[in-house]
Amino acid sequence: MKTKISFLLNDTLIETGLNPATVLLDFIRSNDFTSAKEGCKEGDCGACTVICGKLNNGKIIYRTINSCLVPVMNINGAHIVTTEGLNNVSGILTPVQKLFLKEGASQCGFCTPGFIVSLTGFFLSDNFNDDILDSIDGNICRCTGHNSIIRAAEYFLSELKDIPEDFDCRIKYLIEKNIIPEFFLSAKEKLIYKQKNIEPKNNKNVSPKYFISGGTDLFVQRPDEMLSSDVSFLSKENSQELIYEKDGSCFIDSTSTVTDIFESKLIQKLFPIISEFTKLFGSTPIRNSATIGGNINNASPIGDMTAFFMALDADMILSDGNESREVSLKDFYTGYKKTVRMPDEFVKSVKFKIPDGHYYFNFEKVSKRTYMDIASVNTALFLQMNEDVITKINISAGGVFETPKFLSMTSDFLTGKKINTDVILEVLEITDSEISPISDARGSEKYKRLLLKRLIWTHFIKLFPELINIKETV
Amino acid sequence: MKNYDIIQHVTGKSQFIDDINVPNGTLFAKVFYSKNAHAKITSMDLSEAESIKGVVRILTYKDIPGVNQVGGIVLDEPLLAEDEVHFIGMPVALVIAESMLIAREASDKIKIEYKSLHVITDPREAFSKGLLSIPPRIFESGNTYEAWKKCEFYETGTCESGGQEHLYLETHGAISIPMEGGKVKIISSTQSPTAVQRVTSGILGIPKNMIEVEVLRLGGGFGGKEDQASHWAALSALAAYILNRPVKLVLSRHDDMVMTGKRNPFSSDFKIGLNREGKILAYEVTFYQNSGAAADLSPAILDRALFHCTNSYYVPNVKATGYCCKTNLTPNTAFRGFGGPQGKFVMESAIYKAAEKMDMDPFEIQRINLLKENDEFHYGQKALHVMAEKTWDQCDKEFNIDTVKKKTEEFNSENNLYKKGFAVIPICFGIAFTNTRMNQANALVNIYTDGSVGFSTAAVEMGQGVNAKIREVISRVFSISHDRIRSEPTNTTRSANTSPTAASSGADLNCNAVYLACNKILERLLQSAAEDLGEKNSGNIILKDEKFYLNGEETDLNWNNVIETAYSKRISLCDYAHYSTPELCFDNKINKGNPFRYHVYGTAIIEVTVDCLRGIYKIDSVKAVHDFGSSLNPVIDLGQAEGALIQGLGWMTIEEVIHDKKGRLLTDLLSTYKVPDVHFAPKNIVIKFLNDPNPVGIFNSKAIGEPPLMYGIGVYFALLNAVREFNPDADLEFNAPFTPEKVLLKLYEKKNMTEPKPVAVNHSESI
Repeated sequence: MKTKISFLLNDTLIETGLNPATVLLDFIRSNDFTSAKEGCKEGDCGACTVICGKLNNGKIIYRTINSCLVPVMNINGAHIVTTEGLNNVSGILTPVQKLFLKEGASQCGFCTPGFIVSLTGFFLSDNFNDDILDSIDGNICRCTGHNSIIRAAEYFLSELKDIPEDFDCRIKYLIEKNIIPEFFLSAKEKLIYKQKNIEPKNNKNVSPKYFISGGTDLFVQRPDEMLSSDVSFLSKENSQELIYEKDGSCFIDSTSTVTDIFESKLIQKLFPIISEFTKLFGSTPIRNSATIGGNINNASPIGDMTAFFMALDADMILSDGNESREVSLKDFYTGYKKTVRMPDEFVKSVKFKIPDGHYYFNFEKVSKRTYMDIASVNTALFLQMNEDVITKINISAGGVFETPKFLSMTSDFLTGKKINTDVILEVLEITDSEISPISDARGSEKYKRLLLKRLIWTHFIKLFPELINIKETV
Repeated sequence: MKNYDIIQHVTGKSQFIDDINVPNGTLFAKVFYSKNAHAKITSMDLSEAESIKGVVRILTYKDIPGVNQVGGIVLDEPLLAEDEVHFIGMPVALVIAESMLIAREASDKIKIEYKSLHVITDPREAFSKGLLSIPPRIFESGNTYEAWKKCEFYETGTCESGGQEHLYLETHGAISIPMEGGKVKIISSTQSPTAVQRVTSGILGIPKNMIEVEVLRLGGGFGGKEDQASHWAALSALAAYILNRPVKLVLSRHDDMVMTGKRNPFSSDFKIGLNREGKILAYEVTFYQNSGAAADLSPAILDRALFHCTNSYYVPNVKATGYCCKTNLTPNTAFRGFGGPQGKFVMESAIYKAAEKMDMDPFEIQRINLLKENDEFHYGQKALHVMAEKTWDQCDKEFNIDTVKKKTEEFNSENNLYKKGFAVIPICFGIAFTNTRMNQANALVNIYTDGSVGFSTAAVEMGQGVNAKIREVISRVFSISHDRIRSEPTNTTRSANTSPTAASSGADLNCNAVYLACNKILERLLQSAAEDLGEKNSGNIILKDEKFYLNGEETDLNWNNVIETAYSKRISLCDYAHYSTPELCFDNKINKGNPFRYHVYGTAIIEVTVDCLRGIYKIDSVKAVHDFGSSLNPVIDLGQAEGALIQGLGWMTIEEVIHDKKGRLLTDLLSTYKVPDVHFAPKNIVIKFLNDPNPVGIFNSKAIGEPPLMYGIGVYFALLNAVREFNPDADLEFNAPFTPEKVLLKLYEKKNMTEPKPVAVNHSESI
């Protein structure tokens, strides 16, 4: 498949006829932009982090991404910024760079450009009011200068007062402060110009071997194969509404990234509790690339989004490009890494019915490292009550079965029951009988069985603290 | 103070192996390795792989012109497997192709068949079968046999500590370039250019002067590149030598994790005896070190475990036995601490267990047994300038152990979902290579006629800031600005027969060599200046802030014009010096002597909170008083201390190297092997400098690289304390790392379960 890809790399327009499945990191490094490093090639170290700006309704949305997992096709028409681009042409260090120098926040230096990019990207993103440390949750410093980096980051933040909310004003402010170079001012114009000239994407590939969405799993698992296989890219070129309400249901386009979902006003309204656990999903750059379609379709038994939406009893909308069909997420998986999706189908969207009346929702995940890690066990719970009786309950769990697991026996048992310690103690016996975890690098079978039970306790203790006594749960 | 290296790093301009522009025609190499941990190779078919377009050559051991051997201490490790493989990840062949993509594809097409042999992963099993890399090592002082009779309490137990993946962010790599007359130049990511030169010389069967090794910097080493960079450098050199083309070999993260060694896991038995007051009278320990399939550096690592088996304590009667056990894992290797952490963890476990029996707090036993001036270590060295009690007492004064204890108890009485725990951990670490002959370094200092200075030493920069420290020494001796001084890459043609940059001694050794070289030049400059000023005694001249003073009076002479004049007078502006650490000796037959130049001390308090519902935990704080000496660069030293500490915390908590019974590494990617990230790092780390000058250190400084890692050991006991607050019935177990899995299982371990006492939940606890 020959496609011309063009994007803005720092202040230079790039056009390339390169294989569109080439990952961005390989492309920029082979063009002597070596500040981005290859540390792991699986999005787990952040040494390759770049800033990626994409046009959306006439505005550029900047987010950081792992360039090692992003096929260049996915950045067609985007603005990519590396440390080379952030360097001030006059040779004066930017404030972030200066603070790294002052605090000695760079030891061997291999991870450093990735940190500089992440921290700078923080002020370009819409999340610049969040905790600045979350912007570097995808960067590993093995030396490990995290504390000096934290000091540099916090000092940096304290030096910046009254950062403008308005994007254009913020860009000007950041340029004035020498945090970003002037070319950011003209980036939008250049991207709009490029967008008009972008070739329509060739998605007519009748039966590709792979549909590529965010790429954060496929390019970890089989990067070389992507270069030689027939592939079709699902990413959207033109901005459109990805998450919306229609006919009492919430629709989520399969190419929505985890960030898109968590930042969606609709999702935040439906699940106010969500901010408590968004950071448990991957890392900032992974959340910015990984899509819900990919996360659900790759059929990993421990997909976080899968557990989340399974508890909402979501449906998948599959399409072969012409015809669509709906499949309940509960019925989507048929075995380890197997689904009912036909080879020529791709996940178009995910939808769930917006519940009537009051409901409870919770998500729990435990992994070896709390952040930027894959779950040992995860679970989500959706629950509705009438007075003190459970009228509807869905509990999902990951890491305890060959597929993401809907705990149907557990959920059935609890329906119609009152919540108390005895009921939970009783149902956990049932839970234990409907799971079959295996021992692996993420934990032993014994651990996963115990952990799921503790996490189910956690759901109830968290949502109904007055009804459960932890000491009685042992 | 400007730090040249950091400026390069923050602007993304610093070059690592993979960033270097390779010459045209460079080929790319991929290592094909064994997928079987112990087997005979019955057949290997390269034909399909060789037929792929772009494959230039596939090399096996048969192509090695010299000797197929990379072992350093013991000659027991072939570079490429011959007819047997001994671990998964053992290099078998090298595919050389026009691109890395082709090399990977071809590697997948190599067909190999094995006849499997028995696989051993457990060091105790290896011991029981007599599979030792070296004869047993025994360090002994006093008479433990007699001492047991005097002990009012004694306690025995076992202790396990796991491996640790270095995870230097820059993987192993090398570029080899054929030069005129059969010479090979190797640009390597190694802590030991001389080891690369030695190994390659043996492999190629050519003299060392035909091999030039250059190192600009490393993207992290931590010991992982001390001996094990040689394999990849030698393989790329072999290909370059045979094909007469430049060859680049950079390991992918996965290949690096599968093929290279890690920190040695240790399985140990201990017996500790004390009197009623808690004085330790005797200690016996046996280490079963998992060396992996070859000795590598394990014998030296085992020695350091034996040296440091009593940590910061004076123990009059010691018997420490070490077995270097051969298993079918990747040959394990140096990792920051080099056996010290493994040895100390056992001692701390023994104290914890004894305290339990004696109904004392472990910190009471720790405190009264700390080393005092002139106490003798079990290896015969007298402890001098001891900072054990001083750092402890300073730490107690600053952070107050009793207050921490009281606050922890208060928290625990009010909370049921979360429990806190704390531990105190003193450290003591000897500085010098315990192999005495390695304690030497050399340095070349060049002053150019424009007054700029270049230096070249044996030290390899890997983030520890050794070049900045050397600049500081030069700047102090010459009294010139740092801006004038630049480091040259470490190169075997400028600095020959060097020791690896390791054992925390890189700065000590190389700063001293540089100091000697600078003083030789300075003497000539002062002499020249004296002549120019008509002064007979150059002792009346001093150089300060780039100006020359005669009897305290400023003169017209300054750095630039004195340099120019000296050159005109044909006075050498360059010099070379060799330094060897004085007063070292060690007899490894009786295991007595003065192996160390000095010791580094410190004390830390570590506090944790365990989430008793989920089994996860948070390290709340680490507060330490550390014996830095007079720091040459406090910013660098603080970074080293915090960095080492966090690596130590990682080793004790979430960093878990897991192998299955067949010897396959299950944690072979960053997605399964987890190291501390920004949220794991305790936000509250306070490390106070004990600014006590080191009488034998360069400008009274002390080594810093390794010692603070051992503070991490304390977190194990802090977690154990917190867990036992929730579940007092939990068995005492010393099995690091204390992963969230082990924490949860311990929290809910049912042993001698009594009826749970009903306790009201405090609803204000947020979860």
